[in-house]
Amino acid sequence: MGESESENEAPKVKLRPIVRLGMFLISHSHLLSVVCCTAGVLTLLLLPLLAKNTYISENALMPGSANPMLSSQEVSEANGLVKDLTSLDLKRMASGIESQRLIAQYMSNLGAEVSFQKFYPQSNQFHPLHFFSSPDSATIRENISCSSYGLNTVGIIRAPRGDGKEAIVLVTPYNSEKIGLGEALSLGIAYSVFSLLTRVTWLAKDIIWVVADSKYGEYAAVDAWLRDYYIPVFSGLGIQNAEMCHGLEENTIRERNMRDGFKRAGTMAAALVIKVADRSEQFEDSLSIYAEASNGQMPNLDLINIVNYLAVHRQGLRIKVEKMWSLLNCKWLKILGEILESLGHLAKNLNPQWKFGIPAADYVEGTATLTSSLYYQALGIPTGPHGAFRDYQVDAVTLEISSRVSSNNKGRQNDFLLRGGRLIEGVIRSVNNLLEKFHQSFFLYLLTSPTSLYAHANNLDPSFEKNESNHPASAADELGITLRSWKWLYAAKKVLVVHLWGAVVLLLPYFICQIPNCTPTTSFVVWVLLSIFSLLILFWILGSPFSYVYASQPQQREWALLKSVTISAAFIGLCLMSVINFATAEIGALLMVPMCLMAHPLKLDVKSRKLRNFSRVACNLALGFIGFPPTAFLVFKGVFEGFDGISVGDFWNWLESIWAWSSATYLYIGMIHLPCWILCIHVILHPC
Amino acid sequence: MFGSKVTALSFLFLLLLGFSNCESQTETTMHTNNWAVLVCTSRFWFNYRHMANTLSLYRTVKRLGIPDERIILMLADDMACNARNKYPAQVFNNENHKLNLYGDNVEVDYRGYEVTVENFFRVLTGRHENAVPRSKRLLSDEGSHILLYMTGHGGDEFLKFQDSEELQSHDLADAVKQMKEKRRFKELLIMVDTCQAATLFSQLQSPGALAIGSSMKGENSYSHHLDSDVGVSVVDRFTFYTLAFFEKLNMYDNASLTSLFGSYNPSMLMSTAYYRTDLYQRRLEEVPVTNFFGSVMETIHTDSAYRVLSRKESGSVEIKMSTEKSDHDKERLLLNSNDLDQIGELNTEDQRGNIECIWSTFHKELQKVKDVDSFVNYGLVIMLPLLTVSMWLSW
Repeated sequence: MGESESENEAPKVKLRPIVRLGMFLISHSHLLSVVCCTAGVLTLLLLPLLAKNTYISENALMPGSANPMLSSQEVSEANGLVKDLTSLDLKRMASGIESQRLIAQYMSNLGAEVSFQKFYPQSNQFHPLHFFSSPDSATIRENISCSSYGLNTVGIIRAPRGDGKEAIVLVTPYNSEKIGLGEALSLGIAYSVFSLLTRVTWLAKDIIWVVADSKYGEYAAVDAWLRDYYIPVFSGLGIQNAEMCHGLEENTIRERNMRDGFKRAGTMAAALVIKVADRSEQFEDSLSIYAEASNGQMPNLDLINIVNYLAVHRQGLRIKVEKMWSLLNCKWLKILGEILESLGHLAKNLNPQWKFGIPAADYVEGTATLTSSLYYQALGIPTGPHGAFRDYQVDAVTLEISSRVSSNNKGRQNDFLLRGGRLIEGVIRSVNNLLEKFHQSFFLYLLTSPTSLYAHANNLDPSFEKNESNHPASAADELGITLRSWKWLYAAKKVLVVHLWGAVVLLLPYFICQIPNCTPTTSFVVWVLLSIFSLLILFWILGSPFSYVYASQPQQREWALLKSVTISAAFIGLCLMSVINFATAEIGALLMVPMCLMAHPLKLDVKSRKLRNFSRVACNLALGFIGFPPTAFLVFKGVFEGFDGISVGDFWNWLESIWAWSSATYLYIGMIHLPCWILCIHVILHPC
Repeated sequence: MFGSKVTALSFLFLLLLGFSNCESQTETTMHTNNWAVLVCTSRFWFNYRHMANTLSLYRTVKRLGIPDERIILMLADDMACNARNKYPAQVFNNENHKLNLYGDNVEVDYRGYEVTVENFFRVLTGRHENAVPRSKRLLSDEGSHILLYMTGHGGDEFLKFQDSEELQSHDLADAVKQMKEKRRFKELLIMVDTCQAATLFSQLQSPGALAIGSSMKGENSYSHHLDSDVGVSVVDRFTFYTLAFFEKLNMYDNASLTSLFGSYNPSMLMSTAYYRTDLYQRRLEEVPVTNFFGSVMETIHTDSAYRVLSRKESGSVEIKMSTEKSDHDKERLLLNSNDLDQIGELNTEDQRGNIECIWSTFHKELQKVKDVDSFVNYGLVIMLPLLTVSMWLSW
């Protein structure tokens, strides 16, 4: 807008180059927008090519430089624990408490400090006031009976010569009511490492082993422990309450000692969540790494790199990163990959220095991984219990190890425990070498494969930036002379009203949830109806200024003004969102930017009856269709997973999961995407 | 009467010799003592190898005869008692763990955060606060040979000090120049094991400085091997091969600097060792490594307690080491005629006036006479009649 102002003054004085450049850009804003948009999309497609190989940037980590010390002795001890746990499960004599006591016994036999932590399940109900803060645990506790609590078992090893200021956390979630073999094995792995670490002399950080009771979900258990760790409760009430309804009344004095108080160690340097998948792999032992925390936050890349390096180069595990499997069979992706590959060859022939071609198969795989990475980040839901750590700025990953064959074979199981244990030991030793926090590494990135990434930290994604940069240009163009007459204020008011409506729409699900016995589909329909109703009411209340607008100014300018203000609003919204969750903003921009730029009244297009206008109409309709969040969701779901069995209820479920995790994506959809879509539709259907 | 004559004669003779002795001491500084300044410029656990490098060299120079009070050791010293050290209070430079470098007699002069560029300069230039004890000062003089060893992380014309400061090549050159001005050394060997070490010497100008670095510009210096028990690299390649060279030597060996410099194999080092000799006057083949790494000085053998032979007049001096301990009687030949005299010339021309020039030309003339010993003897024989004539005259 500044540019257009200077344009007005232009004839008087000699133009400065920057102003002339601005004028040039404004006069070609349509071309510029198209070029920038295509460039953005192309860059997104090229990301797998531009991905860099990862490296471990922190010198202090030195993964794999020390020989693993975990031996068959620890493994056989761990086997004992696994056996005891599974036999407990078979007997089913006492639910929960028995297994926790067994684990605590094992821990204290090693000389670790053991404590129990009791927590109550939290309902995942959406509460608008608690969107940004976690609900107060005290208020929830009141109406919960004694029987329904979870019990985390926490063991701490103090570093013999360390200063006790830092700690590394191991987490093994397990369901105390029914222990599967996988969970028992993950406990076994953690135990073998734990027992080794009680003996080693090189610990510089304390080790905390949290056996999280996943009766009410893994995340809830870890989150409850972390909350108690960071937010100490000083009133004795909670403890008393805990004592009152304790299941283990016959406890000895020793166990009482274990339980008194909540034990803490230093600040957490990193956390590892260990899981063993119950399913078995076909070919070889493999390891899946889950890293996405809430709002697409990723742990420090070095942590993933260490795990990756140790797993591949030391323990011979195959690393799996989540992929969009359906993309692997995409024809057009393969063709694109081949084109890029041949382009790469061509470039290499021209200049051997240019090495950007990658094989087509790699490209397709990279794209699949990238899409999945983008999707999970955009969703803003943590992919595992590690997400709870991220809320406290602790780097954490979940390692899910799956073995080749179901581990009935004794030798196989030993080998599996040994490899898993050595992997964990290596990672711990590496993190133990760390002197401060993880630093000088990437934290904003998309993985295209376990060993390469695309970091927008250092490249700040040209596609997105370009998409953004053209908005003010086109906006300024259409504003033109009217800027000075303050007429745009009415359009701005309209946009504001629609955004307000977006906020109302966001709040509706809270009330819909209160309706009992509601299937997702009906809730969704109710939601849509209520939204439309509220929109109408808003227009009825605040709509009077618009009639004034209609009267006072020629109508063909009105839609242009509205469009430019919409674009500005979308620009601001996307910019804000890119700070909070880059992946969401990226996907959102992909849908919204063409829609906003293309929007043009149908009436005008139909009147002029040219091929160009008809194609614009078609584009507008298509974009308007795909831009509506529910349809976009259903179309993408259909494309990736097949169209059978899709219902609108899926969208409701999806949204429910998003707001349950307080994801900013929910806010984005309601406050930015939906209003902009409505405004675009308004422009398209404008009666001019 | 004859007795009195003899006493007078011998008195005169002593006087004469005394004069010549005094002359030689003042005008060319003899190598009289050895100092070593050993600096490890990094800290943190993952830089274990730098401390091991420095301690290994410390051990070597001590073994070769530089006493502890003449070694200034600057270490961050955070390895031995680091919680991450699997072997508490021990530091090794080899994965076989045979040799604990952090034994009983390690005297660290500057420790931890005292290892700064400022303190390093203060040590070199001798500008200390009054309170600094003598043990932390480099009390060298114009007869000192100084070994300056530095290791750490560096780059093009700089060396990092504990990740917080850096020493630049012109700073180093400046310090050396000041040392030269203040006559704090006779010869200085700067040995640096860091990436792009050669660049650190580019600004040096002071005569008498000899520099050797582990790598050329644009090259990295690598660690030698990893101790998978301790979990870190324990020694750097350049230092490792330097130590390997010295392990074969003892105090009495006569290996020259050339043989040391020649022992660096670029393929083993994975970098090219670089040495700068243009400021150094002596020929490297003729300088034993123990001139810097040990405390072996040129000693002058005399037959009797008071008969001192002028160094100027000796073409080649046979030096006998004290051989009570070693069963092999090693005799060492220090060829020092030509080069030493050239230095003498340089020094004299720098410092004194024309008289010394005359002396040196006379000295040059002397040089032409092949058989010096016989010349001296003949000279003495000729002096006898002269003396008798003069005594007879005065009688």
